[in-house]
Amino acid sequence: MSLVSLACVNDFRADALREAILKSLNLIRFNFKRNVDKIVIKPNMCYYYHPSTGEVTDPRFVGALIDVFRKNFLGNPDIFIVESDASAMKCKYVFKMLGYDKIAEEKNVKLINLSNEKNAIVEVKVNDWYFKFCIPEILNQSDLIVNVPKMKYMDDVIITCALKNMYGCNAYPKKSIYHTALNEAIVGINKLVKTNLVMVDGLVVCGKKTKRLGLIMGSEDPVAVDTVVSKMMGISPKAVNQVVLASKEGIGRMEPILVGEPFHRFEMLFPKKSIRDKIQKSFTSLYTRIFRSEYE
Amino acid sequence: MKQINLGLIGIGGQGRIHLRNCLRLKEAKLIGVADISETALKFAKKLGIRNVYKNYEDLLSNQQIDAVIISLPNFLHLESVTKAAEAGKDIFLEKPLARNVAEGQKILSSVKRNGVKLMLGYNLRFTAIIRELYEKIVDGFFGEVEIVQATNVSHGPFTPKGGMKRLRSVPSWWFNKELAGGGALLDLGSHLINLLIWCFGEIVNVKSYLGYKFNLELEDSAVCMLKFKSGPVATVNVGWFSKDFIQNIQVCGTAKSLCIHLSPPSILSLVWADIKRKLGKFEHDSYYTELKYFVECLRKDIVPLPSGKEGLTDLQVISMAYENCII
Repeated sequence: MSLVSLACVNDFRADALREAILKSLNLIRFNFKRNVDKIVIKPNMCYYYHPSTGEVTDPRFVGALIDVFRKNFLGNPDIFIVESDASAMKCKYVFKMLGYDKIAEEKNVKLINLSNEKNAIVEVKVNDWYFKFCIPEILNQSDLIVNVPKMKYMDDVIITCALKNMYGCNAYPKKSIYHTALNEAIVGINKLVKTNLVMVDGLVVCGKKTKRLGLIMGSEDPVAVDTVVSKMMGISPKAVNQVVLASKEGIGRMEPILVGEPFHRFEMLFPKKSIRDKIQKSFTSLYTRIFRSEYE
Repeated sequence: MKQINLGLIGIGGQGRIHLRNCLRLKEAKLIGVADISETALKFAKKLGIRNVYKNYEDLLSNQQIDAVIISLPNFLHLESVTKAAEAGKDIFLEKPLARNVAEGQKILSSVKRNGVKLMLGYNLRFTAIIRELYEKIVDGFFGEVEIVQATNVSHGPFTPKGGMKRLRSVPSWWFNKELAGGGALLDLGSHLINLLIWCFGEIVNVKSYLGYKFNLELEDSAVCMLKFKSGPVATVNVGWFSKDFIQNIQVCGTAKSLCIHLSPPSILSLVWADIKRKLGKFEHDSYYTELKYFVECLRKDIVPLPSGKEGLTDLQVISMAYENCII
């Protein structure tokens, strides 16, 4: 059983965010009294979207999280915000466009493009699939890996949240090569890079439409987080392969214990996709692949 | 009338659309293509193009080619158009004319000196609904037009491919002010400014507000107020900041007011357009229509419009908008 905290925040100013984050961490009994010299924060910066769309982690949320760590951890740990280049996104632009360079300067933390870091090629096996990932050294050297995902629908893997966000820890930029077995690849990277803490930025979410949800979710178990998130999004966690597989591989447990605000409060508000939306999306996706290749 | 032999320089996003349309033109033959990317050249070969060049100067030295379509990044317009003009080729150039007025003037001088034709690729001018609007304005349908509002807000260069939801890798020059010459105003605003000048004539005053939502050195939004000598005041709203896409024009006159919507294309309208294309009916495709018109002009020895001079006027207005920026 893993604790998953739900905290509500309606005011997105720094002090309110800090208070809600701390509340969320206290609810899961997060231990600040440990030796932490190096913290790695991995937000979701999947593309050049504005944080107000709910597609990417809000830098204000990450800024507030850094403040909480600085205030509560003993000593003064080095903090790094990390992301890697992807097929369609380049860190050197996304850091600036999403406002992470400003946060890094303001909070005196380092922005790291994992694709430019020293890394080692590591092999991992999941469900008869063998994957090779480029794992940056900085991840192995850190004392605390903090995963700060968004909660979204995604065609190929149904949902994307804590487990999928770690996919960006693979330094290799052409991530589309793993798409033939994406569920297994997601679990593979989570086997290699262990998340110590998940803090979901549910301030603004992107479901059927963009919505201000005001949710902060915390846990030390990414599988438990994704279990709660999939339920909140109207999907049975058992239907989400990456979650089931991650649980089997021992990355976490699909048995969350919810603490804090009532689940139904957020579940009711989350802009869920209807069957009609899903059919339309599948049709559009199939149609693009078959008929609109000339525009690719 | 003779068949026009074409060459295509640049097979990026826009270039590929031109490549397909060149192959559909009955009155023209695509002789060769040039691009620095091997992948792009492979794509052209797959479509049956025999002459592929890594260097566009080699394409320009092909004596068979009468005219070239240039679909290159903004910073290469001056160099490529000058070389094409010197090689005696007529030119279809994707908008904008250049990065700035000075470069635009050099392009026009080169075109004039070499006696070649230059047409700018403002495809909106060849959209059926826009042509109808133009006819209505000329016809006096609106009475006297007083206020116009034109909007084009999208994700700009970050817009998913093919109007569908597939993320695209954005070439680095788009992020560089020096290479791109301008942001949303130059990219999207040039379309609308050209359209409004076509409809209402000379602009006498320009004011603008520029936005930088994404912290780039290039503006990702712009609101421009244009005062026309003929009377109307127009607001041009453009942006690269949105995941969504909206494009419309509202014309308010003393007799009638009208708002036309050019977007967003619904999935059904995309399907219908694709079916028509598969059936060989391209008349409603503005990119096809503009290219067909360009070829017709060359065959009949007519000066094609929008001309380079119009492109220069557009750049002058955009330059005024940058200079007269509020704040």
